Amino acid sequence: MSDTSLRLGQTRPEPAAQPRDGAEIVLDVRDLRVSYYTPRGPVRAVNGVSFALRRGEAFGLVGESGSGKSTIALSLLQLIKPPGRIEGGQALLDGKDILSLSEEEMRRLRLAEIALITQGAMNSLNPVMRIRDQIVDAWKDHGEPVNGREAEDRIRDLLRWVGLRPEVARMYPHELSGGMKQRAVIAIAISMRPKVIIADEPTSALDVVVQRQIMQTLRRIQRDLGAAVILIGHDMGLMAQFVDRLGVMYAGKLVEVSPVRDIFKDPLHPYTQLLIASLPSLARKGQLQGIPGLPPSLLSPPPGCPFHPRCPFVMERCRVEVPPLELKRPNRLVACHLYERDEGQA
Amino acid sequence: MTTLLEARGVTKIYGGGLFRRDRTVALEDFSLRIEPEPPSITAIVGESGSGKTTLARLLLGMTMPTAGAILYQGKDLRTLSRREWRAFRRDVQAIFQDPYEVYNPFYRIDHVLHTPLKKFGLVKSEREAQQRIVEALQAVGLRPEETLGRYPHQLSGGQRQRVMVARALLVRPRLIIADEPVSMVDASLRATILDSLRALTRDFGVSLIYITHDLITAYQISDNIIVLYRGSVAEAGHAEPVVQEPQHPYTRLLIGSIPLPDPDRAWSEEQEPSEIGRLADASTGCTFANRCPYAMEMCLERHPPLYQTERYRVTACYLYRESPLLASEHLDEAFVRPGVAGPAVATSGAADDSTAGA
Repeated sequence: MSDTSLRLGQTRPEPAAQPRDGAEIVLDVRDLRVSYYTPRGPVRAVNGVSFALRRGEAFGLVGESGSGKSTIALSLLQLIKPPGRIEGGQALLDGKDILSLSEEEMRRLRLAEIALITQGAMNSLNPVMRIRDQIVDAWKDHGEPVNGREAEDRIRDLLRWVGLRPEVARMYPHELSGGMKQRAVIAIAISMRPKVIIADEPTSALDVVVQRQIMQTLRRIQRDLGAAVILIGHDMGLMAQFVDRLGVMYAGKLVEVSPVRDIFKDPLHPYTQLLIASLPSLARKGQLQGIPGLPPSLLSPPPGCPFHPRCPFVMERCRVEVPPLELKRPNRLVACHLYERDEGQA
Repeated sequence: MTTLLEARGVTKIYGGGLFRRDRTVALEDFSLRIEPEPPSITAIVGESGSGKTTLARLLLGMTMPTAGAILYQGKDLRTLSRREWRAFRRDVQAIFQDPYEVYNPFYRIDHVLHTPLKKFGLVKSEREAQQRIVEALQAVGLRPEETLGRYPHQLSGGQRQRVMVARALLVRPRLIIADEPVSMVDASLRATILDSLRALTRDFGVSLIYITHDLITAYQISDNIIVLYRGSVAEAGHAEPVVQEPQHPYTRLLIGSIPLPDPDRAWSEEQEPSEIGRLADASTGCTFANRCPYAMEMCLERHPPLYQTERYRVTACYLYRESPLLASEHLDEAFVRPGVAGPAVATSGAADDSTAGA
């Protein structure tokens, strides 16, 4: 790989969040930086984010609004619009940097290799087109003209795969319930058998019963396809139920990346600890503990660790030195000065 | 002691008229009494189409029932004098999901906070007003210097929502009706806001009707829970048993669908409706029968009444038909009354525990 990521003005690049157990990496995001140029100054929405996605895994990106998680999704598909701009970094999909692709190359890559299911996905369906025509359109768009019997068979199989009746092919979006629309969106997203599916809050508009159905469908499809999924959201419960590994975002940075069980059992970063403690549970009644303070303004982020103004364990060093995301325990990356680097594995 | 707010046999039907096929029964024969003492938190839980938002609008007098009545201090809202209506508007405050429409876009945020203080004569000086406003904003996690002086469109939905909670804190009404007050707010802040609402009950004696789709937060803050399904009460009573040992198949489905923040407690698989349930036509019989794994012949004939299965619980399901009936207008007889001094309510499954502090 070239060293184009080491450009001027960039601080020490954070180490790629490589899993050490030899699993194959399908998408390797390195030091991604995205800013929005607002009249009040640049907002560093994604500020040096690195993570590696293993083939077939479910990886979660959790964070509160403004933490940069959705911006990551949009950058990976080159959908950042001005005043936003990708300022640096790489995203290697099977070794090829997709951030440097031309618009035309990227258009061909979308759906075929990497697909996005967004928050408002249900409204992304064309209201005046039948579901079948929207699927066929996606195929045509990628130079896969399908006609006649074969097309109908493929559409029927695709719909069955996402749990929709064949009749849905002839229906318009308004004839479908919210859950059915989201299934149709998933059908289109997987119609080209992508390697990576990015699902950004795919169920936030749905009731909890339908949410479970949709997420279980997505998991089944993911396994059938062998695709990797990046699930983006704020719901820690959904993360606990769906992902294998979880990355926790705070103020444009990843502060912790760990196997999901480890994060819930033994969160290491103080933000993760407080976030988990703030979750209302069905087990204990009467505990409602928020995180004191507010996330920093990204227009003027604090020096040092972005969490230091709210951190109960803040030290002098935290106010001046940004903690890098490093391996602190086997398979666990944490950006916090509280922990020594895990040398055994490096 | 006059009941503060009461829904008496309320039904709300939308549409109808010439196009009878369009008739939607949003809420059917619903009754609830909120007493002024002791202050209580009642959660109304349901998914979209449950009728929960219709209920909120009815209780606030924003829409009138098709049958039945909403009564404020024993008087039908339709017959309140101008003065009584004003008292009602102060005593019963609302917090909505995205309160954008509540704001006048031409006034700064300050306006929506100053107005009630002035209108209801709650402060003696401008300085006191300013101080109260700053305290209220901080209590809901807003920076006063980044909130005051700005226009509604300059705040995010979550920020506007918190301003509405701050406003409710300022007015100190006797009852707050909050419709999804935290659904657009991040998790770490959600707990803070819910706790400030709960503190309002504990410290200032304000009762709360918390309307939500989220059973977990409902469980966390409420004394009693009412689970609505397609306009009718499915299950209601003391929050503890309703959530810990749900009875109605719908409540069980709802709780089983919650993604718990614990990777070791995996989502269960949804059960299929029974053979008979599959035959169910939603227009007659139990509204849940077509999704119910336990649906029986009798479920297809008539919607089940409320059975009082425990001292502090009712369930509208024929699985519990051995239990005594409770007339729907007496729903609140199955509610625990929170102790006036402290959160001591009856524990789980305490069928013959006497009401504390009553």
